[in-house]
Amino acid sequence: MIELKNVTKTFHQKDRIVSALSDVSLTVPPGKIFGVIGTSGAGKSTLIRCVNLLERPTSGEIIVDGKALMQLSNAELAIERRQIGMIFQHFNLLSSRTVFDNVAFPLELTGTPKNEIKTRVLELLQLVGLSEKANDYPASLSGGQKQRVAIARTLANNPKVLLCDEATSALDPATTRSILNLLKDINRRLNITVLLITHQMEVVKSICDEVAVISHGKLIEQGSVGEIFADPKHELTKEFISSSLHLEIPAVYEEKLQKEDNGTLNPLLKLEMTGKSVNEPVISEVSRLFDTNFKIVSAQMDQAGDVNFGVMLIELSGKRENYNAAIQYFISKHIKTEIIGYV
Amino acid sequence: MSDSIIDLLVKGTWETIVMTFVSGFFGFLIGLPTGVLLFLTRKNQILEQPVLNRTLSVIVNVFRSIPFIILIVWMIPFTRAIVGTSIGVSAALVPLSIGAAPFIARLVENSLLGLPSGLIEAARALGATPLQIVYKVLLPEALPSLINAASITLITLVGYSAMGGAVGAGGLGQVGYQYGYIGYDALTMNSVLALLVILVFVIQFAGDRLSKHFDHR
Repeated sequence: MIELKNVTKTFHQKDRIVSALSDVSLTVPPGKIFGVIGTSGAGKSTLIRCVNLLERPTSGEIIVDGKALMQLSNAELAIERRQIGMIFQHFNLLSSRTVFDNVAFPLELTGTPKNEIKTRVLELLQLVGLSEKANDYPASLSGGQKQRVAIARTLANNPKVLLCDEATSALDPATTRSILNLLKDINRRLNITVLLITHQMEVVKSICDEVAVISHGKLIEQGSVGEIFADPKHELTKEFISSSLHLEIPAVYEEKLQKEDNGTLNPLLKLEMTGKSVNEPVISEVSRLFDTNFKIVSAQMDQAGDVNFGVMLIELSGKRENYNAAIQYFISKHIKTEIIGYV
Repeated sequence: MSDSIIDLLVKGTWETIVMTFVSGFFGFLIGLPTGVLLFLTRKNQILEQPVLNRTLSVIVNVFRSIPFIILIVWMIPFTRAIVGTSIGVSAALVPLSIGAAPFIARLVENSLLGLPSGLIEAARALGATPLQIVYKVLLPEALPSLINAASITLITLVGYSAMGGAVGAGGLGQVGYQYGYIGYDALTMNSVLALLVILVFVIQFAGDRLSKHFDHR
């Protein structure tokens, strides 16, 4: 549905040339949600702006729904852009228009008759759950509501594709979840292909089917979300995955944590699970095999695609002479194991 | 105060109001499109045209640097060609409008620069043409600040119109100068001042109210 072929974009800054995208190729199949994740300045904004030519690539090809956009005239491009919805981090609603009139805006552009506009706008507001706000101005809405209006506005043209430019980055976690659910819902119900860029692994994890990691204008890794989470190749990808899992040692443990074992203490282990091994009940196996006990101090486990991953802090006790064997067993199951200290 | 002076003041007030608002109207007629064009042809804007932008900018700056009293005299041949005379209210309207236009153009350009750039981007993404962006996005979104620009312009024109006396256009400025200053009549002078102050206050007040009314940010 969306195809980028060898897209390169360079900017001229004073007398030096800055390369924002170099040789980026990606394909988003119809009906899928594709996420591009990267740190700020990695080129993800430029990438998504190139898809509807808000930013014209220096070279390469952009094909959306079978049409090569780079070859279109400005007038043809304006028409084609109606097939490509877009929402933004800062919503970009028109402050001089009510919610109703904001959603009506794209329909006015195409000269839709008034009564048709009315039915369509009310239908869209219903879809995003803002029917009762029709006559309010955007200034009186919360961030999440503004993004819903922006979504309704961009859906007015019945786009086949939706581009999301950091659409949830300005929202709090609860609102982020509700907007992501809405996007997923739109993707399923209206069969709209979604390309989103984000710096939050949570976004990728919760709604994307496929993901690409961008760094310094290059796509360094891409694949299905399950594959990437199961077996991240690149260091940056691993960082993104672990950044979505934050685990802190509870204060009580922090206080009594010792560097060395004095012969009576229990080791505190940090287990990081990223691979397939986790699908086996490893902990109870270790417990049985090595006659050891586990106390889970804190844990964060999650599911991305069909892969279970996460981190866990456990206190090991039981048969002391088997501790090492137990740890070796974890490692043999591709669980990254680290002794944090002794308690 | 004699009836004849009151008549003079009434007539002068009316002439000032006519000069201010009519030239303000024509000033906007020229200045608004110029300001929009100045904005749209800037670097990184939707109709980026460096040569056109610089040319316009130079013309605007040249006209802004001519002192108004000189502009009136300098423009006499042009004024005569347009309105057929070089004296009276209609003769003052031409230099007033031309004097106000570049000022308005800069104010309009500035108002548009104050808008979040994301609005244009969103409109482009929704398939809006440049013309649609101007009249459906830029002008409505900038309306509150354009109204403020209009108040500033009109108040400036109240001052400029006092110089209309130079071409016999009348107005409060001329009444104040002729009867107050040359005729040494303090009462007339002060009445003129009071009327000018009231006029400026009314314009500012109305402008603020209107601007606020249209501001939904």
